Amino acid sequence: MKSFFTFLLSVFHLTALAQSNISGRIVDDKGKPVMGASVYLDNTLDGSSTDSFGVFKFTTTENGTQTLVATAVGYSNAGTTLKIAGDISDINLTLKNTAKTLEEVTITAGAFEASNDKDKTVLKPLDIVTTAGAQADVVRALETLPGTQKQGTQNGLFVRGGDASEAGFIIDGMVVQNAFFSGPPGVATRSRFGAFQFKGVSFSSGGYSARYGQALSSVLELSSLDLPERSTINLGANMAGVYASGSKLWKKSGGDVTAFYNNLSPFYGIVKTNFDFFDVPEGYGGSARYAFQPNKNRLVKATVSVNHFSSGIAVPNPGVPEQTIRYTLKNDNYNAQVSYKQTLKDKWIIYAAGAFSYNKDKSNFDTIGGGLIEQRSQGRLEAKYIVNTRLNILAGSDLQHFKVENNFAGFSRSIDERIVSGYAEAEWIPVYWLAFKPGLRYEHSLLLNKDNVAPRLSLAVKAGRNAQVSLATGIFYQLPDYLYLYTNKPFNQQFDFQKAIHYIVNYQFQKNDRTLRLEVYYKSYEHLLREYWTSDTADYDPNSFRSLEQNLVTGKFGINNSGYGYATGAELFWRDRKTIKNTDYWVSYSYIDTRRLYKNYLAEATPEFIATHNLNVVGKYWIERIQTQINATYSYASGRPFFNPSNPTFLGDLAPEYQSLSFTVNYLRSIGKWFTVIYAGIDNVTNHKNVFGYRYSADGKQRFPVVPALYRSYFVGINMSLSEFNKDEL
Amino acid sequence: MKKLILLIAVSAVAFVNANAQDFKQALQKTWNTFDTTKENSARVEMSNKLGLISKKWPDEWAAHFYNALSKAILSYNETNEAKRDAYLDEAEREREETVSLLKKENDETYVLAAMIANARLAVKPQSRWQKYGKIFDENIAKAKELNPNNPRIYYLQGTSKRFTPKMFGGGKKASLPYFEKAESLFAKENSEDVTTISWGKRINETFLKDARGEETDGE
Repeated sequence: MKSFFTFLLSVFHLTALAQSNISGRIVDDKGKPVMGASVYLDNTLDGSSTDSFGVFKFTTTENGTQTLVATAVGYSNAGTTLKIAGDISDINLTLKNTAKTLEEVTITAGAFEASNDKDKTVLKPLDIVTTAGAQADVVRALETLPGTQKQGTQNGLFVRGGDASEAGFIIDGMVVQNAFFSGPPGVATRSRFGAFQFKGVSFSSGGYSARYGQALSSVLELSSLDLPERSTINLGANMAGVYASGSKLWKKSGGDVTAFYNNLSPFYGIVKTNFDFFDVPEGYGGSARYAFQPNKNRLVKATVSVNHFSSGIAVPNPGVPEQTIRYTLKNDNYNAQVSYKQTLKDKWIIYAAGAFSYNKDKSNFDTIGGGLIEQRSQGRLEAKYIVNTRLNILAGSDLQHFKVENNFAGFSRSIDERIVSGYAEAEWIPVYWLAFKPGLRYEHSLLLNKDNVAPRLSLAVKAGRNAQVSLATGIFYQLPDYLYLYTNKPFNQQFDFQKAIHYIVNYQFQKNDRTLRLEVYYKSYEHLLREYWTSDTADYDPNSFRSLEQNLVTGKFGINNSGYGYATGAELFWRDRKTIKNTDYWVSYSYIDTRRLYKNYLAEATPEFIATHNLNVVGKYWIERIQTQINATYSYASGRPFFNPSNPTFLGDLAPEYQSLSFTVNYLRSIGKWFTVIYAGIDNVTNHKNVFGYRYSADGKQRFPVVPALYRSYFVGINMSLSEFNKDEL
Repeated sequence: MKKLILLIAVSAVAFVNANAQDFKQALQKTWNTFDTTKENSARVEMSNKLGLISKKWPDEWAAHFYNALSKAILSYNETNEAKRDAYLDEAEREREETVSLLKKENDETYVLAAMIANARLAVKPQSRWQKYGKIFDENIAKAKELNPNNPRIYYLQGTSKRFTPKMFGGGKKASLPYFEKAESLFAKENSEDVTTISWGKRINETFLKDARGEETDGE
């Protein structure tokens, strides 16, 4: 027995002595050494890590058939079978880099996204706020992106040959009825959107999703915040007014309230304005928001907002440019919106939302009173089925009911429209380098008594590790302008939807905080509303407030869908956050060739809101030592056409080019527990006298420049926020 | 025969004990080396070893826990952003494995989740603070609810304050009370057993000295 134990001990001893040296080298798919890879015999603790040459070496007491495994963070595993009966050297294994190659392709044709939730977006909401010249207005910041036209005298987002009516604004799936503050004719006002209200901003300059319709050119889609990030109090004051807001975060719910008082006396007081603001814009309002998230699968959001504005300004008479009218405006705007989102078993996402908007403008053109009341009720219900991580299918329906009542000088005109829509869309990524998004939208208009079916398709293909090519196409429909819908109902039913077809090709390269985008597009317009004359009395009236009723009764004038046009162009966007430390800049350039025959145009022409060349250079520089960010924006637009009655070519004259250089400085510091931002800005530093066109007197002998309300302007303000004020963390 | 059965039973218990002992010893030794070494390549090697331990003893939650923790710590030393995220992907997977073996979250798993969120934020602070700052806060709050005396809560809050820019209320001075509170709680911890989580004392001391250094400078 004793000898048996002795035998056993000697076997153990011998085994312990039988050590083998295992060595080799690990490289990546490009043949470069992989450092820090773990190389080991499977199911044992025998192994080591590779050095900077990719070399590993270890000893093992294991023998026989073993599996050698090599793993490294960011690489796929590799392995090989070894028959260990002694030392083994020169093992070579290759690891495939997975950190980048598996990143899925995303559809980028026509789409610019700014989101905090996603890493790979071109912009962040904060980038919008800090763009010089944008004055923290989302829409003005978007005017530094390709495809948009710089505006100074009228409201709206003008995209790729489209006029202001062709851009749709959406918040959480609901159409925004009044995206801009009401204003006098010839004066551009701000949009109602501040970037911090939203967690995501998605701007499509064409080829947008089948979820939306009634926009021939583009859609700006905004996603409101869910639960507030933390409880905060925020106070601010600037040259336009004061505001306060508070957010409260409870365990499963949260909400915020805001209040503001605006008075632009200081803003208009220190600069020379081009118009006389005899009653400076003044307003007040507030909003309340509540979000309830009982668990990660359910979210309810509700928002209400109320605001009131009034102003008085002397502006050129839109009908008779040699005259000035005193225009006064009182505006009331109310909005309420509720949405509900539920995820069922990680397979279904149900979304339901409803909204009501009311907007009332009470205006006076000198002594003539006018009024506009717009009301909109809408609802959306949709379901998304997630087949797997690479395929999902969405189907839904939305209903829009809007009423417009327009009174002017005792005449009353109105519109009452209901549009019912249904849509389906799929997102399919069969392999990581290929993505498809086909969609179909159906709409029925009760007012026109017409239907339309709009197919859409976008796809993207990876063109290398950091590059991709996207294509988008689709048909887009839109109702005729309110101007034409004001005519009576039987007449309306002779109209059809206006139509646009988009074809977009996009190339995007994104690497190490540098983004290059090139996009070319062609867009055809059909069935545009057009006023025509049956006699030789054809006359062009550039007044957008003109009334059509008088012409209609003559019998020599008609309106139909015979208008048409096209827009084609090339766009470039380059953003670089890497090359110069603490500096972020982007350059966007757009070239457009567009002509159309629509509205009361006398001939096919490039519209008066189009500049053939648009250039924006936006820069942001962060000086860490003094906690200050300096931002600058330079914008250039070539001259835009205007109507000269003595030029036989319709819209054949070009206005001077547009130029503007703007700066803002943001200084960040904490004062006590308050995080404070002090900001100051100058728009149009050089006081460049931008002219957007000319208007002619009735006899054609005098011309009057169309100019913005002010050239150079100054803005200073302070924002203070206090977070977690009721928490004692220690 | 009885003797033989007894012998087998004793051997079996001894084997299980020895196996557990092996596991604890391997884990303790590897973690201690990881925790005390300063050279990055040696830390990578020890983290790889922790990976092997979690593969060899897949049912031991502590193996996955320390592997996750080591990956989160390593992510800070890496310069390549994609690789930092890849480390944190693995840390997240291993944390989830820990929770599934424990069958529920506890204060230490929440602390680990907060630590991983903080590391994610550190990869791209300017674009990630909104998302991961919130996840960090949520997990710290959950950990505190379960055990307000866990020193790692205050250590992590201290590091978060330490690397928050001064203008947002951060900086060395603001972080000091957190590291001090963590230290007083670390002093009460007395764990010989690696499966009773007790990491963080050493690194907290380093940060504490650093934070105090600024205070004496009078900044």
